[in-house]
Amino acid sequence: MQIPVIVLGVIVNFIIYLSFGSFLTRKKGEQLQPLFAVIIGFFAYYSLFFFVCIPFMKLYRPLSYLTRVWVPVVALIVILAAVFHAKSWFDAAKRIFGKVREHPVLFLLLVVIVSLQIFIVTTSYNFTLDASYYVAGVATNVETNMINVYDPFTGAWQDHFEMRYFFATYPVSDAVVCQLTGIPALIQTKSIMAATVIIQTNLVYFLIAKLLFEGKGREQVLMLGFMFLMNLMFITIYTPSLFLFTRTYEGKAIVGNLSVMTVFYLFLLAVKEKKSRLYWLLLFLVCFGSTTVSSTANMLIPAEVSVLYLPHIVMTKRYRDLIPYAVCILPGILLALAFVAYVKGYFVFYTYPVW
Amino acid sequence: MTALNVTEQGLHYLMLCLELYMGSTAFLLLYLFALAFLCVKGSRKERRIFLPVSIFLLLMVYNPVAPVLLMRFFDVNSEYYRFFWITPVVILVPYAAVRVFGLPKEAGKKAVVLAMLVLLFILSGNFLYEGGYKRAENVYKMPPELMEVSALIHADADEEYPKAFLEYEYNMQMRQYDPKILLTIDREEYLYATSMNYTEEMIHDSEHPQYRILAALIKYQGVETDEFLSALEQTHTEYVVLSKANPMIAFLKEAGLHEVAQTAERSIYKYDLKEPYVFELVDYTPVY
Repeated sequence: MQIPVIVLGVIVNFIIYLSFGSFLTRKKGEQLQPLFAVIIGFFAYYSLFFFVCIPFMKLYRPLSYLTRVWVPVVALIVILAAVFHAKSWFDAAKRIFGKVREHPVLFLLLVVIVSLQIFIVTTSYNFTLDASYYVAGVATNVETNMINVYDPFTGAWQDHFEMRYFFATYPVSDAVVCQLTGIPALIQTKSIMAATVIIQTNLVYFLIAKLLFEGKGREQVLMLGFMFLMNLMFITIYTPSLFLFTRTYEGKAIVGNLSVMTVFYLFLLAVKEKKSRLYWLLLFLVCFGSTTVSSTANMLIPAEVSVLYLPHIVMTKRYRDLIPYAVCILPGILLALAFVAYVKGYFVFYTYPVW
Repeated sequence: MTALNVTEQGLHYLMLCLELYMGSTAFLLLYLFALAFLCVKGSRKERRIFLPVSIFLLLMVYNPVAPVLLMRFFDVNSEYYRFFWITPVVILVPYAAVRVFGLPKEAGKKAVVLAMLVLLFILSGNFLYEGGYKRAENVYKMPPELMEVSALIHADADEEYPKAFLEYEYNMQMRQYDPKILLTIDREEYLYATSMNYTEEMIHDSEHPQYRILAALIKYQGVETDEFLSALEQTHTEYVVLSKANPMIAFLKEAGLHEVAQTAERSIYKYDLKEPYVFELVDYTPVY
């Protein structure tokens, strides 16, 4: 009975991400790139959620208040996207089916590669310590109908918010879904979101392979196969590959795989073509969205953007790109500094009013 | 990487960190080979993509001075390894593999190259399921016995939110499945107990009664019955769940706890609190 729920949950996620992404990635007069739209939509969804969630959390409002506000917002965006982009969705679907008919074997191989990974993450048993915070956090928020006010480890009331996790609102979104649908936290995090993240990560892999091997379908699929094999083999307790397969529900697994790869994909686009304002906006969205997924992104993503773009800016002598580059790394750096300020005792957010 | 410390290891930290990160895998070495391959056989565009990035990585991330400098602003002791994640290993190595596959023109040679590349990938790493693939027994991915323990505690408890002491794995998993069960021990306290012993001073520490419970039931250190019971009272712990093989079960019985239920491998003991404890969610309605 739970399997149709999981499948439906994943499909709904992708409809939402496609809706968000369609508004941001489709240029006037150009075709919609549905895979890219879905990836950008993911980061746009969590970026917007951040701004809605933080006031509710900071002012200790119940989770149900947040749910009542957030669900109509998402519904409205999906409806508007359907109204404005239905034709481009239909055209994109037709193009995809056309390609599938052209290369059925390659498509089948792709499906097998991704399905195997979904099977691995949704059916395996892994005992991981951090789930005692992240998954229990979702369950605790739903049970108490509050947002991060109770300690996920023990259930005790906390007098202040734990700032390491305060700005990473990704798990709160899971709590909203659980509260709305009644889906248990374990199924939402370890099956629905895990499968979603695996598909998303493979979509970025595919986009990267598509750019590196333009027009060479066989090479693109082969590269995806090697990436899968490498993720299966590049295993120590510290590698992103291990996080991808065993801790998929964690924000840092998403940052270490999906975010890092999406930033790299955007970098490949920058090498290929001139960067527009929209391009920088999308990069900013991925950088900012990543910080709302996990605080790991606060330093990691600015470091990656620097490593990729600084040499590129120097080599192309486009020094004016330093400004949008700085804007992209700013959210992560500011949040990292905010955490340092909290650790040093400069501020604290209490879970009750202090007059 | 809690074993490493930038301040203590200084410039050696990076190498030690890298050793732990890579373990016995050779993919970073393959990354260097792939880079060398693109330098020799790659196009200008390929070099433009991967070479500057790698040089910058060497300067910014793989530079022994980097963690030392960063440590002045942020505590990166246990998390510096995450900077290695931005090395495009998962992109460059497979990319170069496909490029190598494309070098021979004949189908037979291609098949041999493909087989060798697959073998190289396999030999260069550790398989995800080297220790065996463990299939989850249910859609919750929780041990069925843990779910049974949860049901049994609620069946016995008078309160909506009973408080329990559980052994390590169940303690870390229970609230993911059942957030109505409150736990006596938090994560950090348990992590301490798994690796360290408790000093006499800690055992008698009135501020931290949970130390006594951990010392007695996890470390099997000598704790007086009265002190153990007062720790249960202070922490409002009503239920103690131990595996049947735990040697401290006799101690629990002597202390006056009684078994209220059992599963195939675990026993659930109850302590009758002198002052019944009712956990209630904080009422925030006056705030808004």
